[in-house]
Amino acid sequence: MAARTPSTSPSTAPSTPPDAPRRAYVLGGNRIPFARAGGTYAQASNQDMLTAALDGLVARFGLQGESIGEVAAGAVLKHSRDFNLTREAVLGSALAATTPAYDVQQACATGLETVVSLSNKIRLGQLESAIAGGVDTTSDAPIAVSDRLRRVLLDLSHAKTPQQRLQAIARLRPKDLAPATPRTSEPRTHLSMGEHQALTTAQWHITREAQDEVALRSHQRLATAYDAGFFDDLVTPYRGLTRDANLRADTSLEKLAKLRPTFGLGLDAPATMTAGNSTPLTDGASTVLLGSAEWAAAHDLTPLAAVVDAEAGAVDFVHGVDGLLMAPVFAVPRLLARHGLSLADLDYVEIHEAFASTVLTTLAAWESEDFGRERLGLDGAFGTVETDRLNVHGSSLAAGHPFAATGGRIVATIAKELHARRAAQVAAGNDAPVRALVSICAAGGLGLTALLEAA
Amino acid sequence: MTSPATQVVLPRVPSLGGLYGRGLVASARLGVTGGARSAARALPDVTYVVDDVRAQADHLTAYQHLLHEAATDALPAGYVHVLAFPVAMALMVRPDFPLPLLGMVHVANRVEQHRALTLGDRLAVRAWAQDLRPHRAGTQVDLVTEVASGGDLAWRGVSTYLAKGVRLPDARDEARDDAARQAFTPPVRTGRWELPADVGRRYAAVSGDRNPIHLSPLTARALGFPRAIAHGMYTASRALADVGAARGDAFTWSVEFAAPVLLPATPDVRVAPADDGHEFAVWHPRTGRLHLTGKVTPHP
Repeated sequence: MAARTPSTSPSTAPSTPPDAPRRAYVLGGNRIPFARAGGTYAQASNQDMLTAALDGLVARFGLQGESIGEVAAGAVLKHSRDFNLTREAVLGSALAATTPAYDVQQACATGLETVVSLSNKIRLGQLESAIAGGVDTTSDAPIAVSDRLRRVLLDLSHAKTPQQRLQAIARLRPKDLAPATPRTSEPRTHLSMGEHQALTTAQWHITREAQDEVALRSHQRLATAYDAGFFDDLVTPYRGLTRDANLRADTSLEKLAKLRPTFGLGLDAPATMTAGNSTPLTDGASTVLLGSAEWAAAHDLTPLAAVVDAEAGAVDFVHGVDGLLMAPVFAVPRLLARHGLSLADLDYVEIHEAFASTVLTTLAAWESEDFGRERLGLDGAFGTVETDRLNVHGSSLAAGHPFAATGGRIVATIAKELHARRAAQVAAGNDAPVRALVSICAAGGLGLTALLEAA
Repeated sequence: MTSPATQVVLPRVPSLGGLYGRGLVASARLGVTGGARSAARALPDVTYVVDDVRAQADHLTAYQHLLHEAATDALPAGYVHVLAFPVAMALMVRPDFPLPLLGMVHVANRVEQHRALTLGDRLAVRAWAQDLRPHRAGTQVDLVTEVASGGDLAWRGVSTYLAKGVRLPDARDEARDDAARQAFTPPVRTGRWELPADVGRRYAAVSGDRNPIHLSPLTARALGFPRAIAHGMYTASRALADVGAARGDAFTWSVEFAAPVLLPATPDVRVAPADDGHEFAVWHPRTGRLHLTGKVTPHP
């Protein structure tokens, strides 16, 4: 430890600001296949699944007994007893017990936020290595007691006399014993995410056909990637599941067209959102291995992509100013502007498919001249994203969406793709950078976006 | 309009429960002596005053939780109404108040808040009745409540009540009519409220307003409603909470009540920025029937 300067004689040496931060790299990833709620992982807890995903990563990269700089992960639906979920998963994993850990929660952006914050620590030199992750189960979701029962139990535990205890118990009514199950509706608007997105879908006149096409493409691309062995070094089978249980390789526009709309039924506009073009409730976990160039070299690992930058955003959906899931629409232009980039400079764009229409309303806003001028402060439309660089290996509609696990799934997938593309380009004599954008919308009107560049 | 010069200082804010008891008696008396449901012309020429009213922390917290307000030490404008309005109610049960308390309908409310009142402030409340006037459906009256702290007026509420079917002695048939009710077309909702069957009882417990129409289906049916109905001020205050911090500390909060909200209910809600503040509307999701509309306009 450096000697302290006595406080009476102020140090004359100015604290030197660190040089431009070094790069932090995605070195690989591992997840378990995602299961549909109430399916294969119905008996597995968040800790079970996160530990399984961690152990798969440890096995894949030979990290047994290794002390990793820090592990950050989280779950959206988390029981209060899981206050140290990530640390407990680390203790149950093959990592050294001396590996520190912390929990993160930013709704569906949780997984990406762990990647961003750990990368920043690596860039600042606080860490050499890190594991980002996320897990969620809707099958083993925590159930709370009603507020009134909770109040009575708390007062009971604070009561000092038998009379006070009796008074507390006497307040109980039979209906207070009904459990309070977790909900996916927004606390301030009481509308589900689907009902919110239905408003945005109607506002942007997104058709049923366009949504079904997005869903079909997601299933087809994910199935193709599995068939090509793309996920062989990204996914470890768990509990007998080898592929994402939601994947329907044989789905078709005809099959998707037969499904009845489930959201937006009370609106003036036709209801277009179905179980087929919305993500189902899913169980699963994902992890991403991050490190400095030095740590990667020392461990004989190949950096896949640098986590260059990130930008969070939020919208006022409570007062209907913007749609609940539209925050990335505002965050991405800020993120790209910081690097002098436009949508055209991106080789890949990953937009989390909360709903097919989330992708389509995002693109529609970026393609709108009026929106670009009036809301984004640009000269015109922000730009377009062709489908050949959008969600190239499928996304949440096909894979499913265990809330906090989605960020890790996307980052590991696109980092591998970036590295392969760059290697092919360099082999062909082209040294141009290869970039990907990751955009994830989240409850509460939140959005988190990140810029990755092939290493 | 200024308050009547005659002041009656009450030792404390009266309990609404007791007032309803007296109101019942007074209503019965008016029912008997009023003959063909006609009202006396004059309002009590008196201002009721309570000098030292203070919010209690636990009571404030219970109110803020129930109304979905942030639990700050600032008193929500609807909470000031809860503290102060019983003083106005005390006027309405006076033997010389010309309209029967029971059966009066709260049709509109307007609050001017000049600055935020805070937990610990000593509040001085003044209340009087004014502007007894004919309405196409009966007779209307305004109950005015003013709350001052440190000598300055901080909050002023005007609650408009309608006594249905009660006619002033000299009211002509073509009694002054409200602007024809405009047909309501539901806008795009920004959310909805989930109002459980007991929300009337819960607001009654916090506000002290235990009017039987809010408490249970049985007591509501006795007074002509198919089910218990939500307190108007509960719904207006929920809308104010939905506007959130954008209202600032000084604002005008006005609301007009239409069809009552029968409990339990999940009405659709729109609370959205308008020209110079926020507008809100609450309506039945299936029938499109309007429950209330209003506006929150920050003072410049």
